Amino acid sequence: MDTQIFTEISLSEILVELLLMPVIAFLVGLVMVLWMRKIGARVQRRIGPPLFQPLYDVVKLFGKKTQVSHGVVHDIGIVMAMGGYIAAETLLPVPGMNGIAVYGGIITLTYLMMIPSLGLALGVGQCANPNGSIGISRALTAMLAYDIPFVIIVFGVAFHHETTNLVEIITQQQQAGIASWGAVQNPLLALAGLATLQGMLGKQPFEIYIAPAEIATGPMVEMSGKYLGGLFVMQAFQLYTAAVLYVSLFLGGGESWFELLAKSFVVVSIPMMIAFVFPRYRTEDLVRLFWKWPVMIGLLGVAFVG
Amino acid sequence: MKEIKVENRREGNILSRVFDELNEFCRARSLFILHYCTGCGAIELPPVMTSRFDMERLGVQPMVTPRQADILLITGYVSIKTLKRVMLTYEQMGSPKYVIGICSCTVNGGMYWQSYATAKKLDEYMPVDLYIAGCMPRPEAIISGLRSLIRNIELGESNNWKKYYENYDYYLGNQQKLFGDEWQTPVDVIGEAEHYGLVGEGTYGEHTEILQRVQQPLKPLEMRL
Repeated sequence: MDTQIFTEISLSEILVELLLMPVIAFLVGLVMVLWMRKIGARVQRRIGPPLFQPLYDVVKLFGKKTQVSHGVVHDIGIVMAMGGYIAAETLLPVPGMNGIAVYGGIITLTYLMMIPSLGLALGVGQCANPNGSIGISRALTAMLAYDIPFVIIVFGVAFHHETTNLVEIITQQQQAGIASWGAVQNPLLALAGLATLQGMLGKQPFEIYIAPAEIATGPMVEMSGKYLGGLFVMQAFQLYTAAVLYVSLFLGGGESWFELLAKSFVVVSIPMMIAFVFPRYRTEDLVRLFWKWPVMIGLLGVAFVG
Repeated sequence: MKEIKVENRREGNILSRVFDELNEFCRARSLFILHYCTGCGAIELPPVMTSRFDMERLGVQPMVTPRQADILLITGYVSIKTLKRVMLTYEQMGSPKYVIGICSCTVNGGMYWQSYATAKKLDEYMPVDLYIAGCMPRPEAIISGLRSLIRNIELGESNNWKKYYENYDYYLGNQQKLFGDEWQTPVDVIGEAEHYGLVGEGTYGEHTEILQRVQQPLKPLEMRL
């Protein structure tokens, strides 16, 4: 199997894949943003936004005539927030394209997925807005909360497949059929993964760091024009990354694009369906909840990994 | 007030004009609203946002900070104290920005016409793009008003935000009349006008001279627990 995965591919092929993978991720991510807003609207019995709304928003924000920058670190922070995910996309194998996933592995991917939050923290720090500081401190605390179960899940899956190579994890699941999918083999890990996904996407009940009415969208409070546009792009990447990673770990990835996208959109719908039913948890309750239930379920799942 | 015609010319080469068209197309379809709800005006807005009238289908959604918003929606009367906050909010918004005045109070003071503490006409202090008159206008009227603003933006006719830079002296004069000569905001409007090439005949004048004379440099806030 190793020889099959580590087959030599030409440099130009890799370069094309490195360019294509983030572009596809961005486009799919925009559709996911629309999908989530549509679901939200339907749950509230509204019609919801038109088809190209996420694209209109991004183009408009980048096309604002006056832009307010708070300094160099503010600019760099937004670039880091987007760049972290763009780098993560190249490590996330999709049908027909593996990018540099065979060399990176799942642990590098886990690291890269933390960079956007840190970049955002840098940028928000320079804005010197009290609401922003409160928001980002809550966001980083939330990250601390959901990253513990996330790491447990990632190691559980790696332990089950006896590899940290994401390409091989997907191949193993695809070759042996549905019975070998992560969700069937390790249902406890998959369950903890869903809770982590909810926190990672910042959906209710875990969205206290955004809290529009109380701290004016927290980290986004001073972002205008292209800075907010950058965060909208980041959100599109985030949805794509989280959904495709979940599908790769637990639902056998996708042998075709159709399969992968169908699974990803189902995965992305779950947090949104849950979101509008719940109010929100306070930060300390959020940490307590994440370190208790998903961690316990995750550890139990790791114990049963075989 | 001296009327200065705002030029609606396209700049640059063909490619940049195509981008401008795309920009205007998207700008008209994605509007973030900042609500400044004073008084009774706020009552009719929740139906506009929620399932009955759903303004999100027009691409209009609520935002909570001036930095993120495109439209400043002022519903109801503005007292002199409120108007200071409205000015601070308006100047922090990124251009192109639009102001909608809802209710007759923003048009001419409405039932507060005789009040000593109320600013009567909103467009003496900031350029207003659209008035939706009524006491209160119904949600249908607000949706129809939003639609006409969208149409104006798409046709490139809603450029009132430039007037604030080009006639800054006029607006500042009216503000100084209410707030006194020491009035200053954290936003350097003249500096912005110079930076973005929006200096008009009315940007400088006697009132901006007063401002430059009394203006204090901004100090960082004292950190205190």
